[in-house]
Amino acid sequence: MIEIQALCKAFGNFTAVRDLTFSVQPGEVLGLVGPNGAGKTTTLRTMAGIIPPTAGLVRIGTYDIAKEPVEAKRRLAFFPDEPRLFDYLTVRQHLNFVARLYGVANHEALAQPLLEELEIADQIDRLPTELSRGMKQKLAIACGLLHAPTVMIFDEPLTGLDPLGIRRMKDSILRRARAGGAVVLSSHLLHLLEEVCSHVLILKKGERIAYGTLAQVQAQFSNGDSQASLEDVFIRATGGSES
Amino acid sequence: MSALSTMARALLYLRATSLLGQLKSRLRRLRQPKYLGGAVVGVGYLYLTFGRRLLMARPAYGAGRPGGGFSPEVSALLPELAALILLVVLIVNWVTPRTASLAFSEAEIAFLFPAPVNRRMLVHYRLLSAQLGIVSSALIFTIVFGRGSGFGGNLWFHAIGWWLILATLNLHFMATSFVYSRLLNRSLTSGRRRTIAIAVAWLLVSGIIVWAWNVMQMPQRSDLAGAHEFSSYVAAQLRIAPVPWLLALPRLLVAPYFAGGGSGFVLALGPAVALLIAHYLWVLNIEVSFEEASIARAEKRGKRLRAVQKGDWRGQVAVRKPQSAPFKLPSQGRPEVAFLWKNLLSSSAIFRPKVAITTLAVLLVGSQWLNRPQLQGARVFSVAMVGIVLAYTLLLGPMMARQDLRAELSNVDLLKTYPLRGWQIVLGELLTPLSILSALIWICLIAGALLLPGGTLTWLSPVLRMVALLGLAVLAPPLVAIQLLVLNAAAVLFPAWMQTAGSRGERGFEVIGQRIIFVAGQLLITVIAAVPAVIGAALVFLVTRWLIGVAAAAVLSGLMAFAVLCVESFVSVLWLGDRFENFDLSAELRV
Repeated sequence: MIEIQALCKAFGNFTAVRDLTFSVQPGEVLGLVGPNGAGKTTTLRTMAGIIPPTAGLVRIGTYDIAKEPVEAKRRLAFFPDEPRLFDYLTVRQHLNFVARLYGVANHEALAQPLLEELEIADQIDRLPTELSRGMKQKLAIACGLLHAPTVMIFDEPLTGLDPLGIRRMKDSILRRARAGGAVVLSSHLLHLLEEVCSHVLILKKGERIAYGTLAQVQAQFSNGDSQASLEDVFIRATGGSES
Repeated sequence: MSALSTMARALLYLRATSLLGQLKSRLRRLRQPKYLGGAVVGVGYLYLTFGRRLLMARPAYGAGRPGGGFSPEVSALLPELAALILLVVLIVNWVTPRTASLAFSEAEIAFLFPAPVNRRMLVHYRLLSAQLGIVSSALIFTIVFGRGSGFGGNLWFHAIGWWLILATLNLHFMATSFVYSRLLNRSLTSGRRRTIAIAVAWLLVSGIIVWAWNVMQMPQRSDLAGAHEFSSYVAAQLRIAPVPWLLALPRLLVAPYFAGGGSGFVLALGPAVALLIAHYLWVLNIEVSFEEASIARAEKRGKRLRAVQKGDWRGQVAVRKPQSAPFKLPSQGRPEVAFLWKNLLSSSAIFRPKVAITTLAVLLVGSQWLNRPQLQGARVFSVAMVGIVLAYTLLLGPMMARQDLRAELSNVDLLKTYPLRGWQIVLGELLTPLSILSALIWICLIAGALLLPGGTLTWLSPVLRMVALLGLAVLAPPLVAIQLLVLNAAAVLFPAWMQTAGSRGERGFEVIGQRIIFVAGQLLITVIAAVPAVIGAALVFLVTRWLIGVAAAAVLSGLMAFAVLCVESFVSVLWLGDRFENFDLSAELRV
């Protein structure tokens, strides 16, 4: 579903991501973790087709995002850490706009259960400026899910949500993965990732430190400690520092 | 070392390091060729506009000839007029009630307000910060009003004169706000304060009018015979009591600027500095709380900066209200239309089809009403106004109507996640300003057609007139499109420049230079784009006029020009779309 091969991304002399390879199959949830500046957001933005890779391949479904970006993007949804919205469009108008771009027929009927699931159905005629940060995030998620993507990329999806919102978001991600979606998400909330992810990819300075199922990565860095949490694994894998 | 002096040093350090940081950041930016180029052009422009003139003016400054190039009567009157202007500024200031607030940034409030700093120290910090703006304003005013002023005197005397005026005004405005905060009841709402201000202003203006009506003399024909006579008349009016009394203090403040020679300047300097010190002591000794109002002011300023950063170049902080959709947007169809729909929602509600139809109906009725012999003058005036609006819309409209990529720089990441090619996004983003400007141009052309007097321009037959208007109507949209493409290309190619120009409030030689390059580039590319269209149209006209007549040949050549401009626009959209696909705002702003 998602295939990344030898991905590199450089900004001038600075290489943010180097020689990164991994894949996410339908039903899998990959947790992308790493210290600040490890290249997580750059990886996610490259996967979403926002920035072109310097080298390597990003395939969404069967489509190379560099060669067939339109077909690839039809199948994915990207949710940035800071919800990007148009200040002058209401919740309803956002959904109308997105429906037209993705050609979602009968979008109003599809949007209603989505809005109810995200608990923003009563905010339908409000502008983003009238919404709290959590509500804005929910609107961005509703816009992203309207076209029923099979690949979902979340960058810090739990930031700004209240405890109940976090629980619902986790349930929502798991439900979509079980329905055959391939999900990649980055977060610093390692104990929460532990509950959601089937696979983990640890990045440091743009390079892959560890990759595999949660159990495989835990085994790799547990030092014989069977009770080691993802946090322990992360600290051991990254050496406990950003550098 | 006392805690106070420690804090004073800390505040000075903060101010100095901030300045140094800004300077370093600006110098670092010059490593990019486009900014360096901008800086060279900016410095060159400032030199050619002010610097060269200033340097050439040195002998005149050195001469210290009181009054410069003015006659003695006018020279004697200038300080009086300057004092009068200052008095008006002070009156306006006093009839504008406001709460005491100091212009801190949000970061300054976050660091300084919780810090162990007393009120007096904060006031000093603010006064010190304000000096940066005051000194640079004084220098700019000195340069701008330099040689052309003809006031005589020395360049540095003028700069010091300006500084004294601006620094004292700054203190006076601050003191006024402190006084109002103490005088006005805190429970008064801003609406009531405004009502009180309007009432006071109305009373004041009425009093001045009544006084002037009873005391002042209207100028006679002889008073307007020449500069000398008019100066004498004005001087006489300014001698009527109580004007000399009211002008006494402002006169002291402007005296150093108009002092002319060195001894005159030294003599004038004493009272002006005393006035400045008196204001300083006044500000320091009014005990008033300014914290809450300062926080509110900083938040408002922050919102305005963020609004500009998001693409709202006017920095509007007014609360938006949901707007009804300009038209129904079905789920299926060309995606570019969705951008037209979206961006129309971002623009004022007056830019809607129904408003255009109403305007046309009003024009139709209005033109019939103006079509009477006794209203011939109004009709000619209306045609002239329509012509001005048409030219303004065609030439400056693309710069003003920014409901396109220029307003969406902060949402580029979102736009790039949509399943569209770059050229589709570019085309979609261009549609709103293109539609608005085209509609405005067409309305102007229809108004012109309805109002243009038929009898006066005999050579312009009705057929030719129709052909000319239709030609303009057809050619205007692609001409506007090319200009919009240039402006949008600048946003994609030079995003840091677009951000710098407003969002961070930064200014510099490179920004001035880049803007000059930008405007010149827009004009140049539009002219270059028009050349093939003009050549093609001319060839078609020359070949076909003998075969099908002038009017038909004009139509055909217009269509040829239209086709060439459309092809150019489409190729440009494809090129810009490709650039957009490879565009990364975060990488551009990394420097």
